[in-house]
Amino acid sequence: MQLFVQQVVLGLLIGGVYVAVAIGFSLVWGILNIVNLAHGALVIVGAYLTWLLFARARIDPFAALPIVAVALFAFGYALQRALINRVIRAPLFFTLLLTFGVNLVIVNALLVIFKSDFRSVTPSYSGSGFGVAGVQVPYIRLGALGVAVAVAAGVGGLLNRTRTGAAIQAVGADREAARLVGIDLRHVYALTFAVAAACAGVAGGLITTIQAITPTAGEPYTLQAFVVVVLGGLGRVGATVVGGLVFGLVETLGQTMVPGLGAGWANAIAFAILVLVLIVRPQGLMGRVA
Amino acid sequence: MPPPSSETILVERPRLLDRRRLRRLLVLLLVLGAVLVLLAPLTATDQADSLGAPQLVDRSQIRILTTVAMFVVMASAWNLVGGLTGYSSFGNVAFFGLGAYTCAVAVDAHRLHLPMAAAIALAPLVPAAFAALVGLPLLRLRGHYFAIATLGTAVAVGEVVKNVDYLGGATGLFPPILHRADLLFLYLMVGAALLAVLVSRLILRSRFGYGLIAIRENEEAAGVIGVNTTMYKVGAFAVAAALTGLAGGLFALWNSFINQELGFSLDFNIQMILMAVLGGAGTLFGPVLGAIVLELLIQNLAGRSDVAVYAQIGLGLLLAVTVIFVPRGIVAFFGGGSRLSVAHLRRSLRETGV
Repeated sequence: MQLFVQQVVLGLLIGGVYVAVAIGFSLVWGILNIVNLAHGALVIVGAYLTWLLFARARIDPFAALPIVAVALFAFGYALQRALINRVIRAPLFFTLLLTFGVNLVIVNALLVIFKSDFRSVTPSYSGSGFGVAGVQVPYIRLGALGVAVAVAAGVGGLLNRTRTGAAIQAVGADREAARLVGIDLRHVYALTFAVAAACAGVAGGLITTIQAITPTAGEPYTLQAFVVVVLGGLGRVGATVVGGLVFGLVETLGQTMVPGLGAGWANAIAFAILVLVLIVRPQGLMGRVA
Repeated sequence: MPPPSSETILVERPRLLDRRRLRRLLVLLLVLGAVLVLLAPLTATDQADSLGAPQLVDRSQIRILTTVAMFVVMASAWNLVGGLTGYSSFGNVAFFGLGAYTCAVAVDAHRLHLPMAAAIALAPLVPAAFAALVGLPLLRLRGHYFAIATLGTAVAVGEVVKNVDYLGGATGLFPPILHRADLLFLYLMVGAALLAVLVSRLILRSRFGYGLIAIRENEEAAGVIGVNTTMYKVGAFAVAAALTGLAGGLFALWNSFINQELGFSLDFNIQMILMAVLGGAGTLFGPVLGAIVLELLIQNLAGRSDVAVYAQIGLGLLLAVTVIFVPRGIVAFFGGGSRLSVAHLRRSLRETGV
């Protein structure tokens, strides 16, 4: 029983990282109708920025997150404005290919700059935690979950409580109508992508504290963001949070509690669930039928 | 407001076919290339060597040619589902892996121990059966959801294979090495490529093919006019799986080694799609052209580790430029109604941008 509770706690904490990774991905998919294959690369750019700030300027990784967010916001805005805006009305496949190309460029540029050595961020409190009734809770993972929830709340607030958020949602609902009421499409698209990139950067910062990173470490996160968004349902921040936590839980429990399965089955479990959800409940756990 | 490009492709198709001279030129070039590819390697054999004949290719180039032919098969097969039917599969590598493992298990002395010919015959069947099975639920999904579900299927099948001891587990399987067989596999793979093109051509000109195009353009309407959409979609999926599986089976025997990373490589997965789209999805020769161009590029650049990183950056930039300026692929760009002009580039930008 204690083992079970421990695994549930760990699963939820890991789910926090998945939430952080998936929020930006979900935003771009829902509003821009683009599945951004470069999302994992943006996450890793954020991770390397955090590492640089930690290794060169001794800035605590959690304190570095706002700086990383601002940098990625600017990068995302420029990327959307310069490149992705140009294919936004092209068929689905072209946006996939373009973002895949962007992914290649970013990952290999990182390889040129940082080589493929493993880098990690190890503040003094890494590895320590506290115990409640025999269940261990690492500080860093708890902090990561907290940041993820805060980011989710922030994006939710931005979308639902501000004029900019209303404009973003309007563009997502009907871009021609949004243009007719005077919304600058290019700017709003770029803004949406910039917010998503900022979220990805923060997620990357969290990831450096949990695992060692290389330039190619981002690709699994693109796939996991896929799964999380589909699991929760597209279009709402709350659904992404639920999707991320459920995904973390199922992955952890599947590996440890089902006899005969081990760490090697993580992806198989994740994608088997994904395919099942898509077939049985395509709108996701929390999604509404369109 | 310009029409969405899928409609434009349909309208342009007859015009593309009418350009007989261009097609003849293309066919001629392909035939010449094929003849060169088929005959030149003969000069690299020991017999030719002993006769003192000049070597037109060396053995490393035979390897490259075989790989190019393999990708012609995969890109053409992908085109049947992604280009013709309009279902953007992101998991065709599952069929490649299944074909590869079928062959490897079939020839293995401790497993089925069948002769090589029987193994090659089995290689398309297992993936096709698998595609028919998973196609029924998967092909009910559309758009991004279909793409992701197929990707998920490929990853999940790969993981299962990796965890089953009978299939070699994490170590993989080692089909017996055939000495001096690089020419044999070149011809087998080129044969598979010709088969893939032939099958694509037959489908493109058949009732089946028009049904698939109807599904791509408007699935509901296709159903109303009497196309059995489920059967057609699953049929196209299974044919694509059979061809891809054949390539995978040949690859396993040729390479004498197969494991999960090789059989279910996400690189291969993306590359075959890129090739089809780069060349021109939905056309007959587009995927062939895309496969030849892109794979030669990859083989000649990415193989050298000192420039590999820059080659990948170049590939990424090439992708971005292609998608933005040549959104309908190489074949449509040079053969369709468009000319290489600034006006055309600006028009294509206007059509797809905000």
